[in-house]
Amino acid sequence: MTTSSRPLRFITCGSVDDGKSTLIGRLLFDSKSLMLDQLDSLGRARGAQTRAGELDLSLVTDGLEAEREQGITIDVAYRYFATPKRKFIIADAPGHEQYTRNMVTGASKSDVAVILIDVTKLDFSGDTIELLPQTKRHSAIAGLLGIKHLVVAVNKMDAIDFDRAKFERVIAAFEAIASSLNLSNFTAVPISALKGDGVVAHTSNTVWFDGPSLLEALESIDLTAENSDSTRADETRSAHIAVQYVTRDAADGHRRWIMGDVADAALNVGDRIRVFPSGALAVVTAINTPRGSTSVAHVDEAVALGLDRQVDVARGDWIIAVRESPSVGAQLSTNRVTATLAWLDNAPLAPGRRLLARHGTRWLPARVSRITRRLDLQSAHWIDQSEGEDAAQTVVHANDIVEATIEFGSALPIADYEISALRGAVVLVDPGTHTTAAAAMVK
Amino acid sequence: MTARDAFLASEFHATDTHLNWLEDEAVSILREVFGAFERPAILCSCGKDSLVVLHLAMKAAAPGKLPVPIVHIDTGHNFPEVIAFREALVARHGLKLIVGHLDDSIRRGTIRLAHPLESRNRHQTVTLLETIEANRFDAVVGGARRDEEKARAKERVFSHRDSFGQWQPRAQRPELWNLYNTQLAPNENFRVFPISNWTELDVWNYIARENIALPSIYYTHQRDVVERNGLLVPVTDITPPKEDETVITRDVRFRTVGDISCTCPVASTAANAQEVVLETIAATNSERGATRMDDRANDAAMERRKKEGYF
Repeated sequence: MTTSSRPLRFITCGSVDDGKSTLIGRLLFDSKSLMLDQLDSLGRARGAQTRAGELDLSLVTDGLEAEREQGITIDVAYRYFATPKRKFIIADAPGHEQYTRNMVTGASKSDVAVILIDVTKLDFSGDTIELLPQTKRHSAIAGLLGIKHLVVAVNKMDAIDFDRAKFERVIAAFEAIASSLNLSNFTAVPISALKGDGVVAHTSNTVWFDGPSLLEALESIDLTAENSDSTRADETRSAHIAVQYVTRDAADGHRRWIMGDVADAALNVGDRIRVFPSGALAVVTAINTPRGSTSVAHVDEAVALGLDRQVDVARGDWIIAVRESPSVGAQLSTNRVTATLAWLDNAPLAPGRRLLARHGTRWLPARVSRITRRLDLQSAHWIDQSEGEDAAQTVVHANDIVEATIEFGSALPIADYEISALRGAVVLVDPGTHTTAAAAMVK
Repeated sequence: MTARDAFLASEFHATDTHLNWLEDEAVSILREVFGAFERPAILCSCGKDSLVVLHLAMKAAAPGKLPVPIVHIDTGHNFPEVIAFREALVARHGLKLIVGHLDDSIRRGTIRLAHPLESRNRHQTVTLLETIEANRFDAVVGGARRDEEKARAKERVFSHRDSFGQWQPRAQRPELWNLYNTQLAPNENFRVFPISNWTELDVWNYIARENIALPSIYYTHQRDVVERNGLLVPVTDITPPKEDETVITRDVRFRTVGDISCTCPVASTAANAQEVVLETIAATNSERGATRMDDRANDAAMERRKKEGYF
C-alpha cells in the first residue's frame, strides 16, 4: 500500500452526547497514538468517570478547564494520528448550536467531514425517520464549504443491538438530505465508539455490513483527483498566486523575488504572467520551492518567483499565468459578488454595515448590501427573502447562513468558490473590534 | 506485526511528501508574518522546535536575508551548551539577536522570586512581555506545536494577544482557510506558530532530513542525575540533589530544552537525529510528560500560563 502524498484532514461533526469525543479517543487509542502519561492523566483528571474499569476516552479531547468542568467542547481542537497507511489531522469541532462558527472554521481546512449520528436519538416508530437538526446543519455546512467526502458514522449501534434494518433506514434518511444539499459522495458506517465496533475494524456484531470500518474509509479516500494540477486544471484554470511578500536577492541586490503559494494550476518556468491589478506582463525565469530550484511548481507549493524584468508588484497583488485560450474565471474581475455568508460575529449584521474584507493577501473595505436568501438550518432548505421586508427581518445573527450581495472597495480577480477555493473565499472582519465576522464563499 | 512495527516500516516512505506538505505550510505562514506585520520577531530558545522554525524562516526569506531579529528569553538558568550554540548560530548566519534577561526583570523589580533557586520558567512570561513591549513587536513567532499539550491543541496559528499578552481561549478569532485575520489594535500583538501541525516525530524526521544542527545535549551524553517522581532530574548548582537522593551517572538526552530548573533528560543512547526518530517511534510517554516538571503541577497548568501571556 502506498502512502498518501499529504495528511488527510478531517472534521468530526457531532456533540459530546453523540459520542464524538469518545470516537476520537477511540481512534487515538486504537491506533496507539495515546502515550502512557496521557492515559495516566485520564485517570487523574477531575470528573473522570470510568465505567466498569474502562477509560473514559472522551476526556482525551477536552482541552480547556471549563470544558472538563462543564463536560462540553468549546473550541476547535486539532489532533494528530497515523496509521501505516496515512497520517491524519483531526479538526475536532463542537456540535452545539451556538458554536456553528467553530465548525465553519474546522471545515474550511478539511478534506473530509465525519458526520456522527446518535442512533438512540432517532424515532423509528413512523414510516420515515426525521434526522436531528444538527445533522442537517453539519451536512449543510460541509456542503457549503466544498467538502468533497462525507463519512456518516451511525453511532451507538450497541444500544440498538446492531439492528441492520434501523441502520439502513438511517442511511435512507441521510440520502434524502444529501441529495437536497448536493452532497453526492458519502460512505456510511455502523459503529460503537464506546465498545470499538466498526471504528478501526468491524466485529462479529456487524457481520451483515460489507463496507469498510470508519478508519478504513478514511484511509482509502483518494485526494489525488482534487489535488491534480495537470488534468482538470488545464482546461479550466490557470495558476494564480496571491503575493505575500517581495524581497531582494541577498547576493544580487537588484534582483527581486515574489513570494506566495501556487493555486489553481501548476506554474512553469517560461510561463507568461500578468500582475493584477497593474496589468504588467512578464515571464517567469526562476522558481524556488523550499526544496530548491525547480522548473515547475505544483498547487499548494510555497514559491519564490524570479521574473525577466522589473515590474511593480507588492503584497496584496496577484500573479496570474496568462493562457493562450481564455480560461474559466481567470478573466473575471469584479467588485460586486453574490456569496454564501456564514455570519460568525456575536454582533449581528445590519445591512449596509461597513466591514473589512480579506481576499487573497489584500485587505479592502466591503459592504454587505443585500440579503437574498436564508438557509433554514432546521430543514436545510433555502428560503427567499422578499424585497419588501423591513430591515429588522434582514438582520443576520451569529451562526446564520445567508446568501448576500457583497460590494468591495475595488475590483478583485474573484472566482466561484467551487472553481477556486483560494479566489472564491473571503473573510469579513469588523473594522472596529477586528473580530472575524463572516466567512463568504462566492457563487 | 503490531501497528507500531508496521508504522515504522512504512514511515520512511511516507515521510518525504508528508514533510514537504508541512514545510510548504510553515514557509507560507512565515511569509505571511514577513509581509503582514511591521515589527515581527522569531522567538528562539535554541530548543529543537525553535531551531526548526528558524531553519524554515531562512527558507521562507531565501534568496533574501532573514528580515526579522531572533529573540531569546534568557532565564539565567541555561545549559552552557545551549548558550555556546546560540552564539555560534548567530555568527554563522549573521542574525540579529535580541536577548531579554530575566535577571534584568528581577533587578527592575518586575519579577520577585519566592526563593533564589525557584524555577524561573513561570517567570519567563514577564520578561517576554517586557521584551515585546520594549521592541514594539507586533508578531512574535514561536515553535509551539498542537500535539504537545491539550491547551495548545486549541491554539490558532495566528494567536491574538491583547496589550497584557493574554490568551483568551473562549474568544479566539475563527481561523478560516489561509485567510488569516492579522488586524491589530495599538499595543496588541500576535503569537504565530508555523509548526502547529507538526508532531514530535515530524520535527525529528525533518531535523534528520535537513541536517539541522542542534545543541549537543539533544543527543546522548553522560550526565549526573537523580530519580525523582519517575523523572531523571539533572544535578546542577541550581537543582542540587535532595538529602535522601542518590546521584547516578546515566546515558541521557534531552527531548525538550527549557529552563534548567524544570527540564529533565530521558535515558537514551541516540547519537544522531535518525536514532532519535527510531526512539520517538518507540516512545511510550509524550514529550512533555516525560520531561517537564512545569506541566505536572496539574492538568490545566499550561492553559493557565498561556492565559498569562506564556507561549
